[in-house]
Amino acid sequence: MDLNIRIAGEAGQGIKTTGHLLVDVFASMGLWVFSTQSYMSRIRGGLNWQDVRVADYRITSSRDQADLLVALTEEALETLRAEVAEDGLILYDGDEAQDAVAINFTKTAKDEGGSAIMANSVAGGAIFTILGYDIKPLIGYLDEAFHAKGVEVVKTNAALVRRGAELASDLQGRLPAPQPSDAPPQVYDGTEATALSAAVSGVKFIAAYPMTPSTGVFTWLAKNMEKYGIIAEQAEDEIAAINMICGATYAGVPAIVTTSGGGLALMSEGLSLAGMHELPAVVMLGQRPGPATGLPTRTAQGDLLFALRTGHGEFPRALFAPGSPRQCLELMRRALETAHKFQTPVIYMMDQYLADLRLNEEERDETPRPIDRQIVTDAGGDYRRYEITDSGVSPRAIPSGDAFVVLDSDEHDEEGHITENLEIAQAMMDKRMRKIDGMIAEALPPEAYRDDEGAGTLLICWGSTYLPCREAVDILRMNGHNASMLHFGQIWPLNRDAVREAIGSRERVISVEGNAWGQFACVLREQGLIGEVELLTRYDGLPFTAEEIVARVEG
Amino acid sequence: MRALHSESPAWCPGCGNFSILPTLDEAIEEVGLDRRRLVLVSGIGQAAKLPHYTRANVFNGLHGRALPPATAIKLVNHELEVVVTSGDGDMYGEGGNHFIHAIRRNIGVKCFVHNNQVYGLTKGQASPTSDPGMETPIQTHGVMAQPFNPLAVAIVEGASFVARSCAVTRDHLKEMMVAALKHDGGFTLLDILQPCPSFNKRNTAKWYKERVKPIADDHDPTDMHAALDLAMTWGDQIPIGILYRNERPPFESLWPALEKGPLVEQYSG
Repeated sequence: MDLNIRIAGEAGQGIKTTGHLLVDVFASMGLWVFSTQSYMSRIRGGLNWQDVRVADYRITSSRDQADLLVALTEEALETLRAEVAEDGLILYDGDEAQDAVAINFTKTAKDEGGSAIMANSVAGGAIFTILGYDIKPLIGYLDEAFHAKGVEVVKTNAALVRRGAELASDLQGRLPAPQPSDAPPQVYDGTEATALSAAVSGVKFIAAYPMTPSTGVFTWLAKNMEKYGIIAEQAEDEIAAINMICGATYAGVPAIVTTSGGGLALMSEGLSLAGMHELPAVVMLGQRPGPATGLPTRTAQGDLLFALRTGHGEFPRALFAPGSPRQCLELMRRALETAHKFQTPVIYMMDQYLADLRLNEEERDETPRPIDRQIVTDAGGDYRRYEITDSGVSPRAIPSGDAFVVLDSDEHDEEGHITENLEIAQAMMDKRMRKIDGMIAEALPPEAYRDDEGAGTLLICWGSTYLPCREAVDILRMNGHNASMLHFGQIWPLNRDAVREAIGSRERVISVEGNAWGQFACVLREQGLIGEVELLTRYDGLPFTAEEIVARVEG
Repeated sequence: MRALHSESPAWCPGCGNFSILPTLDEAIEEVGLDRRRLVLVSGIGQAAKLPHYTRANVFNGLHGRALPPATAIKLVNHELEVVVTSGDGDMYGEGGNHFIHAIRRNIGVKCFVHNNQVYGLTKGQASPTSDPGMETPIQTHGVMAQPFNPLAVAIVEGASFVARSCAVTRDHLKEMMVAALKHDGGFTLLDILQPCPSFNKRNTAKWYKERVKPIADDHDPTDMHAALDLAMTWGDQIPIGILYRNERPPFESLWPALEKGPLVEQYSG
């Protein structure tokens, strides 16, 4: 069984804090959790909510309806009331409300000697009681979290949890809740997993201009600068950021930029430079709905074709798009390795949904394991940065050794010097293009899920639609459909033979995408890998839910 | 390394770059710089071609974008000498935003700007430093905007070292280049006035020669107001020399990650 808790109110009311508190405590109890946030682009004010779904089985998607709505403002109460399940419950942070249980968390926190910020302890106590959970793990968690702030703070929080439980005692166990099982106690989100992976993989330099929803990765790396020996520099604009990481990789360390679609647009020329210079520049792209400023705090998968094409001229690139925090860990590393092995830019694509979602994951390895930069250290006086090779990959040296390392944004000869010799120019283009063969040979095949019977209905997805699609396949199969999923974590270049085989012959092929055009279906069609397919798209700024996919597949 | 193109730079006859290039080589030799630890970073323009004609590590990037990679190179390996060779269009026009912020950071790069007050590579349009009234194929009624004052901006923003010289006074230019290369500090700007015989018919070699005048010995370069007075002086007399010095710590000295040595040397993989 599973249960969905929705905490809603204004920005600045600590909704995220309360949500994180519940998620962390539930996970520590051995419950499966899945949380997402939804918020308006405001620092304070505006309606925001956090969904915390809890279950006794592995869940990988949010749900449309809430079983428990915790409304911190009247607007939240009225706006979200309609989305509460029939046998659900509304808890209102106030003195009275129609068809809702009113408990004034903030006033209670203040009356009991706490501050307004501690209202979430009162709410936590009430929520735990309504779900029939023991409040001990909650108190224990707060104890640990506030240990450093002193005995008084810890005591007050514990008292407030008890007070919240007391105020909700009439509703003890009112909502039947899942019982703890064997879920891993660690909780990860896409942002943290991406940033951690970059740090342990050896990223030493990040330059970025803050832009939602990519800023979290930048912030995490800045916060952990000293631990991992990183320089995190806020660039004056995105143009500076991408050009900085070109300089940083030239000087010899793995480097990334973080940005969103508008920022990537400004980086377009710099990306082309990395292609020409043959530098391992890695761009972390957090997608949000466009065009232009679009919906800054919402989610979308609308930048696939842009990421695939941006940058003038022709040069090799790879695109990765993880679908879960676990895949973020793997694919950020893979992005860095690919960039270094083939000396060419790589774009790693996320979106607001994946950046913010949190769920249980197995424990991860946080030990630094720097990637092989694939540089040569014995280059001498006759070194040629762009030596023509069969693989197209030339030995990469870095400045300060015996060799001069010469890069030119003009077409250049093997030494890196500007040339107008068109035979050399052609040879250089061919050399760079040959790298694509190696990249295709190493391309990750798509991941098939529950595809043991062939035929039937195939859901094709990429990036962050992985989790809701997976759960949708489970539900569809429970409903008697022969459904399976094919998820692409690497979306460029594609190994066409592997993809053709994985798609096979189906009764229905449906491309599930967070954009209007079915952009990945466009790519597959262009590559001759699919014909006409059904599109299951969403582009209203919100993520897919498994329920929605199932309903639309069953039509 | 073969200096492949050193015999045939793609500059017009009489270009000021023909005196700047050998002067830079002489200054590098005089300072005793190890060329293998020297990185020349440039954008696009006639000045930005210079790194191809000498011996050094080279990062020739995009138009206007020399300073961001130069900043990162210095941060990743602060033991390298990073010299930016740029022009007035590249540095003060297309790259203006980076110019402002590189100085704010006070990153320890040496920025040599060949300032000929005109666009050469694109054949004679106005640059940010063109004199008002200068007629060009685009500015057919004469330049209407006020010229950008790089020296005043650099001083106001607290650059570590601000100097001006001229391609037609080679001894002075060499002296300034040597002083800039020897300067052990943050952002170093050397603005080099330079004739463009092909496209700038106003500010000719003769025009500069008649006007440039070394700054008096009693000038105190740590006096910001005195430095600004010199920076604002333009016309019948153009002061050349070191206008300003500032002891502010360079950007690269402030990062905890660099306390153990250059970032690149801390990498194990």
